[in-house]
Amino acid sequence: MALDIPLIVFIVGLAIASTLAVQARSKEGEDGTRTMLDSGLAFSVVGLISSGWTYAIHNSILESGETTMCASKGLVQCGSVIGDPEWNNLFGIPWGITGLLSFSLLFFLFLSLRMDMHAKWAESFTTYSLLAGLAGVPFVAFLIFVELTQVEGAPHICPFCTVAHLSLVGFLIVAYIVRERKQNDMWA
Amino acid sequence: MARRRRAAAPKGRDDDVRLIAALVTFGVTSMILMAVMLLAPIVKVGPSEGELAPDFSAQAYNGGGWEDFRLSELFDKGWESGDEGNWIVVQYIDTDCPYCWSEGELMGQLHSQWNQKVTFVTVVVELEIQGHSSSREEVEAFRDKTSFDGCKTNSNCADRPGNTHSWTYVDDLNLRTSGDWELPGTPFSALLQPDVIVAWNPQQLGNHPDGEEMEGALQRLVGGS
Repeated sequence: MALDIPLIVFIVGLAIASTLAVQARSKEGEDGTRTMLDSGLAFSVVGLISSGWTYAIHNSILESGETTMCASKGLVQCGSVIGDPEWNNLFGIPWGITGLLSFSLLFFLFLSLRMDMHAKWAESFTTYSLLAGLAGVPFVAFLIFVELTQVEGAPHICPFCTVAHLSLVGFLIVAYIVRERKQNDMWA
Repeated sequence: MARRRRAAAPKGRDDDVRLIAALVTFGVTSMILMAVMLLAPIVKVGPSEGELAPDFSAQAYNGGGWEDFRLSELFDKGWESGDEGNWIVVQYIDTDCPYCWSEGELMGQLHSQWNQKVTFVTVVVELEIQGHSSSREEVEAFRDKTSFDGCKTNSNCADRPGNTHSWTYVDDLNLRTSGDWELPGTPFSALLQPDVIVAWNPQQLGNHPDGEEMEGALQRLVGGS
């Protein structure tokens, strides 16, 4: 599958989020924490938009049986993954919607921390962020398993789903570091 | 002696920013959802008339053996009202259900009459009723009218009314599709337009002429037989 513009934009988004995280590691105190929170926010925004994109692909496949938003043939494609009637939803809810709601929660937690790093609830929010990120891991593992073994004509890799999965992994790493900073008095 | 003061830890803001963060999150998520709807509008999927029929993929028996089957492969998405096209009858049965047993004859007649314009698909489920126990062998025997004890609970499948059925029978014995189809019981049949939209659902009596059954619906909607 050729790299199309939306995919390039998502990859750039992931690269920016990762760069922010790397930069934050070399900064100390409040500045470093703030940059780390920016990185988490960037990961959650990429996750939000990529989830929305997969939901749009889902609707597009339902409507017309095919989509111009992603390839539908080959190893790297969306048609056989997002278009699979058996695996494209969680209890009837498309995975794109599930992703949107999940990344909204992560975005809210980090945005709250970013807006008031010294609030009384900041420490508990760092814990909630880590737990919420961890809660997504079994779903990501399950979806990768489904892509590789269960969908029609498996294995397939859905690139936009992978962007969402990487966003969660990135967020989780950042949430872990943020919590460490809070607990080890490196917050500000 | 001068007293040393400890540096005070930074304090949080007086206002609680969580409400603002929640509103911003809601706004961002709403904007993304609106963009999605502009790119690809939400499609209503379900068994009601006017909705997109729920797709499914499963193993299916066509007389020769069991193969992969996907309902959407029958669809003609480019079809428009008035065009020639292949309509689809989706029938749900349980091989142990006495009404399904007797409907086998009617379905055979309808298929003989309409098979040039309509593709028939029978989805076999196993309802959670005592005595209802099915298997692929029973599904094959029900379709082919071959000797097998167990159809209609304790009858021989070869005695089923009507002829051998020549269309596809789908294995949904574990009821994976029945939720999406809001299966009210068996037998249940729906007529789909070639573009996948549900054209006739017997549960929506108010939308049809009084007492209309599948045969009447085929005559009215597909016509020309």
